[in-house]
Amino acid sequence: MADIYPDIKTWLQEKSIDTHASDYVLSPERRTESLRAVAENNFPTRKDEEWRYTPIANVVNRSIQSGTDLSIDADDLQEIKQIVPEACHVVFVDGQYSAELSDDLAAVAKQGVDISPLSEMNASQGQLAEAMVTNANFSDTNIFQYMTLGLVNSGLFIHVEQNTEVEQPLHIIYVNGPTKSAVVQTPVNFIRLGTNSRFTCIQHFVNSDESKAITIPADFFDLAEGSGIQSYRIGVESDQTDHISNSYARIADSARFVSHQYLLGSRLTRSNTEVLFDGEGAEAVLRGIYLGDNDQHLDIRTYVDHAKPNCMSDQHFRGILGGKARGVFNGLVMVQKDAQHTNAEQSNKNLLLSREARVDTKPQLEIYADDVKCGHGATVGELDEDALFYLQSRGIGREEAAQMLIHAFAAEVTQDITIGSLQPYILEKLDKKLSEISGP
Amino acid sequence: MLSIKDLQVSVEGKTILNGLNLEVKAGEIHAIMGPNGSGKSTLAHVLSGKDGYDVDGGSATYKGMDLLDLAPEVRAREGMFLAFQYPIEIPGVNNTSFLKKALNEIRKHRGEDELDAIDFLALIKKQMELVEMKEDLLKRPVNQGFSGGEKKRNEILQMAVLNPELAILDETDSGLDIDALRIVAGGVNKLRSKDNAFVVITHYQRLLDYIIPDHVHVLSEGKIIKSGGKELAFELEERGYDWLLEHA
Repeated sequence: MADIYPDIKTWLQEKSIDTHASDYVLSPERRTESLRAVAENNFPTRKDEEWRYTPIANVVNRSIQSGTDLSIDADDLQEIKQIVPEACHVVFVDGQYSAELSDDLAAVAKQGVDISPLSEMNASQGQLAEAMVTNANFSDTNIFQYMTLGLVNSGLFIHVEQNTEVEQPLHIIYVNGPTKSAVVQTPVNFIRLGTNSRFTCIQHFVNSDESKAITIPADFFDLAEGSGIQSYRIGVESDQTDHISNSYARIADSARFVSHQYLLGSRLTRSNTEVLFDGEGAEAVLRGIYLGDNDQHLDIRTYVDHAKPNCMSDQHFRGILGGKARGVFNGLVMVQKDAQHTNAEQSNKNLLLSREARVDTKPQLEIYADDVKCGHGATVGELDEDALFYLQSRGIGREEAAQMLIHAFAAEVTQDITIGSLQPYILEKLDKKLSEISGP
Repeated sequence: MLSIKDLQVSVEGKTILNGLNLEVKAGEIHAIMGPNGSGKSTLAHVLSGKDGYDVDGGSATYKGMDLLDLAPEVRAREGMFLAFQYPIEIPGVNNTSFLKKALNEIRKHRGEDELDAIDFLALIKKQMELVEMKEDLLKRPVNQGFSGGEKKRNEILQMAVLNPELAILDETDSGLDIDALRIVAGGVNKLRSKDNAFVVITHYQRLLDYIIPDHVHVLSEGKIIKSGGKELAFELEERGYDWLLEHA
């Protein structure tokens, strides 16, 4: 039976009082410290520079329910799994790991991966996870992070053994059943790549139209020398879902971190990705598309810390906004004094499809080294009338011509998807949403 | 096929076409010549339905329809084609799939079956030989990174594939070297038949060495001030436009 709370603060108070917290997966000290930070910090308002463009009153004032009946549609889930048929599928329902709905993790373990749901971590896994949190030095600290770390009761611990190339992608699916009030879910993944290992993981946030949720996940990546990961985040949650995520990646010598984000859903999304170059000759490639309609709000943040020389970062984010949707891109590339021969590129392009859509974009570079190659740029524009006319003059209807141009705008990012079946899925989702989007 | 009567067009209050008359019948090639600013490109744009032009008077009838009332895509589906003076680059839209889509829209409109990928490729390969175009241009986004000559050849390739009844070539010769000019003109000559018509808009006479027009019209200040046969083009080549403008 679900208990209902009028807002998130009341719910948090109740959670904090619960001293047992038997489902908490990190150390008791972590919990105490994080929940103290939650109590001591207010939810950000527009007066906070980091949240200036992203009002969260609607998130803070939602009624919350704890405990759900964990009911989800098996056919729907099967369909989601089929998007990446070759993957190992791990399913979380309302933020809780479901062994029943997930594939057998032993199959992944056989490929040289130490993998465990957080609730079943052994002592050494727990210590490694704990250390990853301690070592993460987020530039953007906020109450949502503290909530995640103070409440985390699910997620995965993944350690890919050295020299192991895991061919099978891991498909982590987060689903929610229909609820009366919002469910708060705080899954955290700890993903460690051993020396020269390779791994692909897809996080897929997908719930039904009746789902109400506040998703506050976090990811911690640690890439040892020469390792490489392709990390996908696909956000297709309902318009009654708010999603505030934080990712932190530490990259050692010659390692390669590739992040793809396709954020098409939710009422509010704020995605914060931070990358620390902790070795030389490493690469970070960040790709993303955010597509909003109606009253959606999509806020993308990146922070790339070039703390070591000879590293390359390449960011490319594209926004498509219709209706009254708002987009925010806030990316900072920090090139430290010792980071000579840094090669950093950052690009953000936006397409506004209606008069009331809006985007605030702020690509930033801070350079303290003198021998670097850095570039950044942002554009905000409408559909190219000359291109539309060109297509029309060949017999293609105006609406379809517009769709072709928007599709092409997005496809320049999706071409970097490395999983065969994922690209058509994303493009299909994009096209479906574009066909419903409200124009000017 | 095309009948333009007393057409008056302005842009932001400035009159560009000022009582233009033109009759084009199937099987004919018309050349429209004139100095810069005489309204040549405006005529091409208005006929193909580009935004930003106000029709203040007169009419244009195409196959019995009020042309100016049709959306640009409907004009195309009804068999009109504009070869652009400056073909547009469209990043991310593949040249082949764009052209296949365009052709199938037109075929659908005519009540014909859509072509599948295999039949379409066979068609396009055949037509590419006509314009001596390199095959890798098909795999690229529309016009992106094409040279000036490649863009113009791509226009003629599109024309060859879409097989229009009325094609308007807007200064297709501008910026072309003599080889490209020959190829483009060769394409037009091979497509020419008793059932279709061409309106060739050009500033220079040299294109007309390769595409022999049935009628030549001189446009000045938004009006046709002189019409004649192909010999008029040679006369213009020798004497320039000034002698005509003084008479007008």
